[in-house]
Amino acid sequence: MTQRPALPPDDDADALAAEYVLGVLDLPDRQAAEARAKADPAFAARITAWEARLAPLADDIAPLPAPDLLPQIEARLFPKPARPRRGFSWRFLAGGLTAAALALALLLAQDPPSEGPQLTASLTAETQALQIAARYDVETGTLTLTREGGAPAAAGQDYQLWAIGADGVPASLGLLRDAAVTVEAQGLAPGIVLAVSLEPAGGSPLAVPTGPVLVTGALAEATSG
Amino acid sequence: MTEDAIGTLLMKVAGSDRAAFRRLYAESSAKLFAVLLRILGTRAEAEDALQEVYTRVWLRAGRYDPARGAGMTWLVAIARNLAIDRLRSRPASRTEADSEVIDTLADDRPDAENRLLVLGEARRIVDCLGQLEPDRSAAIQGAYLKGLSYQQLAERHGVPLNTMRTWLRRSLLRLRECMDQ
Repeated sequence: MTQRPALPPDDDADALAAEYVLGVLDLPDRQAAEARAKADPAFAARITAWEARLAPLADDIAPLPAPDLLPQIEARLFPKPARPRRGFSWRFLAGGLTAAALALALLLAQDPPSEGPQLTASLTAETQALQIAARYDVETGTLTLTREGGAPAAAGQDYQLWAIGADGVPASLGLLRDAAVTVEAQGLAPGIVLAVSLEPAGGSPLAVPTGPVLVTGALAEATSG
Repeated sequence: MTEDAIGTLLMKVAGSDRAAFRRLYAESSAKLFAVLLRILGTRAEAEDALQEVYTRVWLRAGRYDPARGAGMTWLVAIARNLAIDRLRSRPASRTEADSEVIDTLADDRPDAENRLLVLGEARRIVDCLGQLEPDRSAAIQGAYLKGLSYQQLAERHGVPLNTMRTWLRRSLLRLRECMDQ
């Protein structure tokens, strides 16, 4: 959008953090600021400091009676395991399968086991409506993904799921064409990053993502409860 | 911070405590709904955003750090970021039309932008905003409360975009110096 007026580097970073918190930036500049916050803890701390400085401005906003949306919210967050699933459609790419370090197989939809150690990840990005929750049962090697926010990919495009381990090499786990899916994926461990990229219909023509990575999340041990 | 009931609930939510999540909704949704409505302008959008906000709260509660701020501050930041992202993602033609709706909603009291609770923590920012030129103070509050963009601020204040940015950045740095004293 506009050029940033010249300021000493420290003040420039702080003014940018303030602009981000205030919300005046256009979308590309907002996204750039978010990317910087992810990569630069000092910049993220500036954002936190500005959130605290400006927070008293929200004191002026009188609460309004809010509708009780908890049923809808809980339905999104805690889908009932017994509910029949519909519309799962994962396709594996031939190249992805052979290249994958992970042995994967498409399973018919089945209830996720509720016991045993579980890993979870929430695949999100700040400016991305798409949100996917992942739950991995370590004992059965079952990975369940549920789209909790955002729309399906547009016509002519597909969401593609990748697992990225310590070697940094993405391995395709297939295409995500609808709201949820269950796959068998052996050997996933805490710290492995799941990522979804936007690809041409049919998936990336290469063994790596070619489109923008929309959301990511790292697998971590689920807290019980 | 020890009396931060919202922060305490957030830490329980981080432990996947669904009862705490319900209490958190009961305690905080009216505030966040008001924040979202101010920025988004319509109830339908605010309601949709509210669902998204609490979905994110559940998924991200583990990142809440009580040492870095009050629970409500963290919640308001999530709500404002979501609302502003949605605002900035709108096609330009819609933004123009909706900004009038926002103004109608937010300006329902006389002098709304200059009316701040002068209580406790709020006193310092009120004092420091008072040291800025009135139009710059109004620009900061308008942006925070209504989600006004640089483009909208420049139009409101009748100055070029780059001028607006230059003086808003300087004003923000002056605000920081005053508040951090």
